[in-house]
Amino acid sequence: MSDNRQLLADMAEGLFAELSDADFAGAWPRLAEAGFSTLLVPEEKGGFGGDWVDVLAVLRLAGRNAVPAPVAEPILAHYLLARAGIDAPEGFVSIAAPGRRVPWGRHADWVVSVEDGKASLHAADACMFVEGVNPAGEPLDAVSFTGAPIASAPCDHDLAALGAFARVAQASGALEAAFALAIEHVNTRHQFGRALAKFQAVQQAMAEFSEEAAAVDAAAAGCAAALDGLDEAGFEIASAKLRTNLAIDRATPIAHRVHGAIGFTMEYALNRYTRRLMSWRSEFGNDAFWAERLGRQVAALGGKGLWLEMTARSDRLIDAA
Amino acid sequence: MQIFPIRPFNPPGDIPALRQQVRDLVARHESRWQLETRANPWFSFDAEFSKALGAAGLLAMNWPKAYGGHERTMLERYVVLEELLALGAPAGLHWIADRQTGPLLIRYGTEAQKRKYLPGMARGEIYACIGLSEPNAGSDLASVRTSARRTPEGWRVNGQKVWTSGAHRSHAALTLVRTEEGSERHAGLSQLMIDLDTPGVTVRPIVDMTGSHHFNEIFFDDALIPLDALVGTEGNGWKQVTAELALERSGPERYLSSHMLLVALIDAIGPDPEPGIAQLIGRLTAELWTLRQMSMSTAAKLDAGEDPVVEAAIVKDLGNAYEQALPRLVQAAVDADLAAKSDLSRLLVWLLVQSPSYSLRGGTPEVLRGIIAKGLGLR
Repeated sequence: MSDNRQLLADMAEGLFAELSDADFAGAWPRLAEAGFSTLLVPEEKGGFGGDWVDVLAVLRLAGRNAVPAPVAEPILAHYLLARAGIDAPEGFVSIAAPGRRVPWGRHADWVVSVEDGKASLHAADACMFVEGVNPAGEPLDAVSFTGAPIASAPCDHDLAALGAFARVAQASGALEAAFALAIEHVNTRHQFGRALAKFQAVQQAMAEFSEEAAAVDAAAAGCAAALDGLDEAGFEIASAKLRTNLAIDRATPIAHRVHGAIGFTMEYALNRYTRRLMSWRSEFGNDAFWAERLGRQVAALGGKGLWLEMTARSDRLIDAA
Repeated sequence: MQIFPIRPFNPPGDIPALRQQVRDLVARHESRWQLETRANPWFSFDAEFSKALGAAGLLAMNWPKAYGGHERTMLERYVVLEELLALGAPAGLHWIADRQTGPLLIRYGTEAQKRKYLPGMARGEIYACIGLSEPNAGSDLASVRTSARRTPEGWRVNGQKVWTSGAHRSHAALTLVRTEEGSERHAGLSQLMIDLDTPGVTVRPIVDMTGSHHFNEIFFDDALIPLDALVGTEGNGWKQVTAELALERSGPERYLSSHMLLVALIDAIGPDPEPGIAQLIGRLTAELWTLRQMSMSTAAKLDAGEDPVVEAAIVKDLGNAYEQALPRLVQAAVDADLAAKSDLSRLLVWLLVQSPSYSLRGGTPEVLRGIIAKGLGLR
């Protein structure tokens, strides 16, 4: 890990841990002050000048600390604005992927949408929100634009894909946090005269849990490398999102099972992670969406073409290293 | 505490050219391969192809040149392996010698042993098998009872090995034997490199549920094995055997065994599939891609001198689960006529019946998860 990335991670870790019980009003100013929003904005444009591996490191920590405020959305919004050459405004900018709700929309000062090859910046007073929340209780608001955007510019980025990557990165952290809780619990909770961890059935379940968390870590890292090293990372993002969803399907039941009723209470921390994981599974595209998109892409490549494409893509990352 | 920290896969040299070399070689040989030969390729045999790989410098890639190797990196070797498997090239004859027996001899063998076996292995002409399991000692390898008694003439070996893959096509078996009378469990075990044409050594076939002959029993009936067949240190056999297990567990052979069926499925459904089948292909691709990330990362750790025991067990368990599920997922999704002669039907039937073996060879899920649990500090 580069020195810069380590500093970034240390700063994020410290701040996120403090924010885990905050609300939006308490958390956002601290996040804004820390400057995460400009993580992907080049230094010459006043940003942090980071890459997608940096984004993964920060979002993973956000997921691990269940930060109850938008970390990913402003990073993506400012990235798109910089890429499209639109001057970034002050305040919280969220994102509107085509046909999808806007995370934390009601709190946004601005919204960036990407549709039909065009990025647009909308002021909050030109947005009408129908408020809703995700299973974790976080705002997820449907938007319709009631006025013209402040600015528009050509943009060939797939916002749903970038959003999906963000959820993969957050999920990798949330799974680690849930795993750490489960490990702690099975090591300390005694039943039938011994620690839960001493039961072979529990050991096997925890091993399975670790495998799923490992798969998400690998998928997230592979995805970040592809975003940094390839022109587009649609193949990798679709794969990583699908694999992450599978891991959530397999791992969250184990997390709850080994905790028993304790893990089902509002008081105990597990639900902070598992309710978010449940929601992230379908935010920016559910299994059917990504599986069909990836499946069609692969079908067009043909049977042998799949291997040729997959290896050609990863070989280009060797050259980039 | 990240469970699976990633190490980038950065082999030196022109990797696309290396892939092309393998692809060209496969193209020159593939016309003689049956479809079934191409499925589960590291359990399929073609001596001519093994020799061609040797001649092309694609075996023994990271061994010393003095013994016929090519002093390339483990990661270049990894690229060759994954190409062979993904292209469905029968690589079973030389697989064990190239992956395991050769490297073990390089690490522990005597100069004479290296001279005797390694150059032929590197040419794809000498094949080896691993004599570990015994009757009543399957997953519990340490309960080995085959004995080797030291005499002035040599080792007197008595006992029986079982489930020995490829012994009937191998020249030698690296055999775990009990050299200390009365010793128990992991103590008193040693490795002998036993030539299978030695008098008193008998190889008998076990036909598996696919109708194929891969498994064998090896009987040792007071066989006299030269004293210099001892590999490494007497009594150190258990440590020598287990030291190589990470090499065995994280390779691309742990998730690509059914890959030819995915290829056939994609070809069978064409470029404009219905949503259900498209989704199945998408989900399988996602698992394939992720497993490849994990396997490559583990290879990079091995290459860097780390000992990723837990990661390797994770790759094998997830990889086996994927390659094992692939045939039944295809069967569930596609209305394939199992009695038909189409490529898809033939591969499906063949791999459905092959697939239970994937999670037997190299450790069952329960054994692997036990290793992982140990790594997690739970046991």
